[in-house]
Amino acid sequence: MKLRSKLFSAILSAMLIATLLLPSAAEAKKLKVITTLTDLASLTQEVGGDKVDVEALAKGYQDPHFVEPKPSFLLKLRNADLLVLVGLELEIGWLPPLITQSGNGKIQPGGQGYLDASQFAEILEIPGGNVTRAEGDVHPLGNPHYWLDPNNGRRIAKGIAAKLSALDPGDQAYFQQREQDFEKRLADADKKWMAEMAPYRNRKVVTYHRSWPNFAKHFGLDVIGYIEPRPGIPPTPSHTIELVNQMKREGVKIELIEPYFDLKTPNSIASMVNGKVVVMMPSVGGKPEITDYFKLFDYDIALLTKAFEETK
Amino acid sequence: MEILQFLILPFLASLILTGIHAYLGVHVVERGVIFVDLALAQIAALGATTAILIGMDPHGTGAYWMSLGFTFVGAGIFTFVRSRQKRIPLEAFIGITYAVASAAAIIAMSKATGETEHLKDMLVGNILAVSRHDVLKTALLYGAIGIFHFIFRKRFLAISLSHNSAEASPDLNVRLWDFLFYASFGFVVTSSVAIAGVLLVFCYLVVPSVGAMLFADRIGTRLAIGWTMGTLVSALGCYCSVFFDTPTGATIVCTFGAVLVLMAMVKALFFKVRQEQPQPEKIEVRQTV
Repeated sequence: MKLRSKLFSAILSAMLIATLLLPSAAEAKKLKVITTLTDLASLTQEVGGDKVDVEALAKGYQDPHFVEPKPSFLLKLRNADLLVLVGLELEIGWLPPLITQSGNGKIQPGGQGYLDASQFAEILEIPGGNVTRAEGDVHPLGNPHYWLDPNNGRRIAKGIAAKLSALDPGDQAYFQQREQDFEKRLADADKKWMAEMAPYRNRKVVTYHRSWPNFAKHFGLDVIGYIEPRPGIPPTPSHTIELVNQMKREGVKIELIEPYFDLKTPNSIASMVNGKVVVMMPSVGGKPEITDYFKLFDYDIALLTKAFEETK
Repeated sequence: MEILQFLILPFLASLILTGIHAYLGVHVVERGVIFVDLALAQIAALGATTAILIGMDPHGTGAYWMSLGFTFVGAGIFTFVRSRQKRIPLEAFIGITYAVASAAAIIAMSKATGETEHLKDMLVGNILAVSRHDVLKTALLYGAIGIFHFIFRKRFLAISLSHNSAEASPDLNVRLWDFLFYASFGFVVTSSVAIAGVLLVFCYLVVPSVGAMLFADRIGTRLAIGWTMGTLVSALGCYCSVFFDTPTGATIVCTFGAVLVLMAMVKALFFKVRQEQPQPEKIEVRQTV
């Protein structure tokens, strides 16, 4: 009898403590956000704080044009309240059938939980007039690598904050406050990045893929050519020779490339022009130490300034 | 498990693939034209590239008929060289066709001005993202081709099992039936590759047939073993894909390999006696050689 009442009071007090410690059911409910790229996940995390559960489908070191779908992608999409994607047809090779197959009505295109981040960003290289495709495999809607400009990061974060507020109006003030805080920290960081890049303003570079126009515009780099003859087409001999001659003429030493492209041609170009190949990370998580959107620019700018220094 | 419901469509699709490919595989293995599906798939991709090159929509009907037309040309080539060149193995021509078609597709892609990412799609396929519409369409299409093959099974089998004696018999137009075989085969391969990719289609074609040949000689028995194996491997592959969270198509391919090794081991351990008794002289020859 004594033992039983002791046990009973122990259970009761344990339950009491549990109810005190655990947040109420309404508070515990977090928005489940799935993003295609890690960069969007990082921005969502900045804004959403502990009111959201964020996960990216692609890994930071993967080519976002080609991602091998896995069964878990479907499960994640099925349970998502919000899907944030880059858009501009970047994910067209793998995402659309997965969205359909997920059977999640909220995240279907046009749905309340479908957020195309490109609508908030400044998009470059939008083909004007009639798209003849004579320029190669251009994305007809503009260049989708737009998140590599901190100003766009700010704009996207603002858009995500508005969307989160719409989905969870009770936490609107929280999201707005976090978004403003993020904007402030980003502005401070950007000042530092701009200062670091200032000595190299208007330096000419070539890039492998057309992935860096927004980055180049923001930090004042002049991209004079691409190692790919057309986007998505591997380098051809005549194009490579032409590019080497142009680089020699204009004294260009730096080549920017993503980690998932073949380094053979860039390396041979580097040896011909006595230059340097810089493997820049296009996304958060490309290296273990790049854990968020800030560290992405920290990493790339450190690499780039070092390379500029070495090829003076 | 909630995730299993996502695998229903891929599993149904792989059952359809098993149905037609395990059957065609018996022909392919008997004819010794193992890589014909790779060659035809590559020719179909070349057709699609050409369609893009002349400005067609890669997902439209124009591109589909273009790649089908190319496949029929390929079927014609294989029929022609089979009848004319007896000394050179057909497999050599298939290899050459594969290499040239791949290279031509690369050249065409470099000249084409857009949407080349869809071509990679075409050869890689993605069975995880197969839609209900695809499954239904493929089931009807393959059903029709299956019926066609069932009606004329004697002629197809006669040519596959013994090409030379079929050619000698006067009441069988070998070239016509050869062409019909490769054309229907190309038809199937073009659609299958779009759903499942080259690697997976190759496995569905060849592995069940080879696995069955380990245990049986009669065509009927081989088909039964092949279909059973294909179904079990599809289920096991889909399950492993969920369990390890790996790309579904590649997981099924590796499961095929593992199951075939297992079958070979079972055969070596338990079926040894049965085989030695009826053919003792053959084994002796092998030892002396």
